[in-house]
Amino acid sequence: MTAPAERKPPRPDELAQEFYRAALAAGGLCVQTCSSCGQTSHPPRMYCPRCSSGEWSFQPASGRGTVYSFTVSHYSVEPYWKERLPYTTIVVELEEGPRVVAAGQGWDEGVQLGAAVDVSVEALSEDFAFLWATPAGSADDE
Amino acid sequence: MTKTQDARSALSGKAALVGIGETEYVRGTDQSVLQMVLAASMAAITDAGLKPSDVDGIIPPPGFVAWDEIAAHLGIPDVRFTATPQMGGASPTAALQTALLAVASGTAEVVLIPIGWNGYSALRPRPDARPNRRRFSAAFFDTVRDYYAPYGLRSASFWYSLYLQRYVSLYDVPPEAAGAVALACRAHAQLNDTALMRGRPLSMEEYLASPYISEPLRKFDCCVETDCAAAVVVTTPERAADLPHTPVLVLGAAEGHPDRPDELTNRPDVLSLGLERAAPRAFSMAGVTPGDMDFLQLYDCFTHVVLLELEALGYAEPGGAADFVKDGNIQLGGRLPLNTSGGMMSQGHCWGMNHVVEAVRQLRHDGGAAQVQGCELGLVTGYGDLGDGSIAILARGDR
Repeated sequence: MTAPAERKPPRPDELAQEFYRAALAAGGLCVQTCSSCGQTSHPPRMYCPRCSSGEWSFQPASGRGTVYSFTVSHYSVEPYWKERLPYTTIVVELEEGPRVVAAGQGWDEGVQLGAAVDVSVEALSEDFAFLWATPAGSADDE
Repeated sequence: MTKTQDARSALSGKAALVGIGETEYVRGTDQSVLQMVLAASMAAITDAGLKPSDVDGIIPPPGFVAWDEIAAHLGIPDVRFTATPQMGGASPTAALQTALLAVASGTAEVVLIPIGWNGYSALRPRPDARPNRRRFSAAFFDTVRDYYAPYGLRSASFWYSLYLQRYVSLYDVPPEAAGAVALACRAHAQLNDTALMRGRPLSMEEYLASPYISEPLRKFDCCVETDCAAAVVVTTPERAADLPHTPVLVLGAAEGHPDRPDELTNRPDVLSLGLERAAPRAFSMAGVTPGDMDFLQLYDCFTHVVLLELEALGYAEPGGAADFVKDGNIQLGGRLPLNTSGGMMSQGHCWGMNHVVEAVRQLRHDGGAAQVQGCELGLVTGYGDLGDGSIAILARGDR
């Protein structure tokens, strides 16, 4: 028996690093929020796309959203994902507005556009939080 | 008409494609990228009836090779103009707009546009594999690293599936629509001696039976990794008059980009390609309509992207491309032949430059068994780097 394959976290820099560090500090997803007009952005941006302010903070998000798009992958060269074929990846549109890409878990019944989702975070390193997308209200969230 | 439209209309037809060159399209080569790019460049310059010393502008690709080594190795002594659209697969067609601006303004007179890569060999673990030495410089690679790749999405088919599945789900696009694109390209490849997939015809049954890579993309929805290079030479219509081939005029050219070009999933509408913005600019400049085209050479990294491009060009309403590609409409002899060389799906992946070369060949009426009889007008598109778009509307010139 060989050890199970592990996920290799990326080493994000600049605003991506701040995005993940905010989630790790808060223990849940945070989204960049403009200090001037309240616009939310993901990925985070240096200037607000609505009012051009350069002042912002990361604010805790509800983690609730809906399926905007998704894909089910049937092929991988990476050991971790090869062990999980086919695996689902979901684009979640958050209640706060932005969309995030997350690994699907608990979607054995299939994924539909618009389905309700909960997003949770798992610390993989000091600089990276892995995002999980589970059907809203499923056991994983209890 | 706005002042901008007037100025662009005045540029219509002010550049001519006069030379084309290609290497073989192969899977496995001992040639370096630089060798292949130089060979295709020399072939294009020779085809134009010119010498390297006649070239005074170079638009190198957004990676793999650099303009200075191209100039030095080919012996181009006096380069007056260089620029590169940084748009991945949209770059070669976007470069036609760049070249048009250069020659119409007198900044350069003879512009060389080459591209090539070891798309097959560099990815294979052979001890003698020659890598692509210079990578592309685009911020979206960081987006992929930080936000997509951690979830098992490491290459283009996976990234694009993130939005193509929405297209399929939202409009109930049947797999046979994407299959029609794959089959048209494969059928046309049977007429092309240079095509990788010549001798390997494809049926709808075989297409539907091919395994998923990442839904909705099956194996046969994906283009073929290829070692190859191709190049074109652009000059003024005046200079073209003294050169050997019937010139092919650039009537319209444009680039367009999605809002948030460095990230796919947070665009206001993920199904809106850069081409949707570029196409009206190019048609307006050219003074023609989509219905005037005799053929289409559309960037076909993935079949579903071709369906979205048809909609962006105005050939169908959103979600309606599936009807447009039915009944052999996009095959030779049909309503509007698509990718008559076999395209990236079945000739080979040369970043769409093979589409430009094929368009020129068609408009010279040098298309061989795949000739669209009597064609006078056609268009080429590019697509790259998460949705950047480019388009060139080309016309057979006078001789």
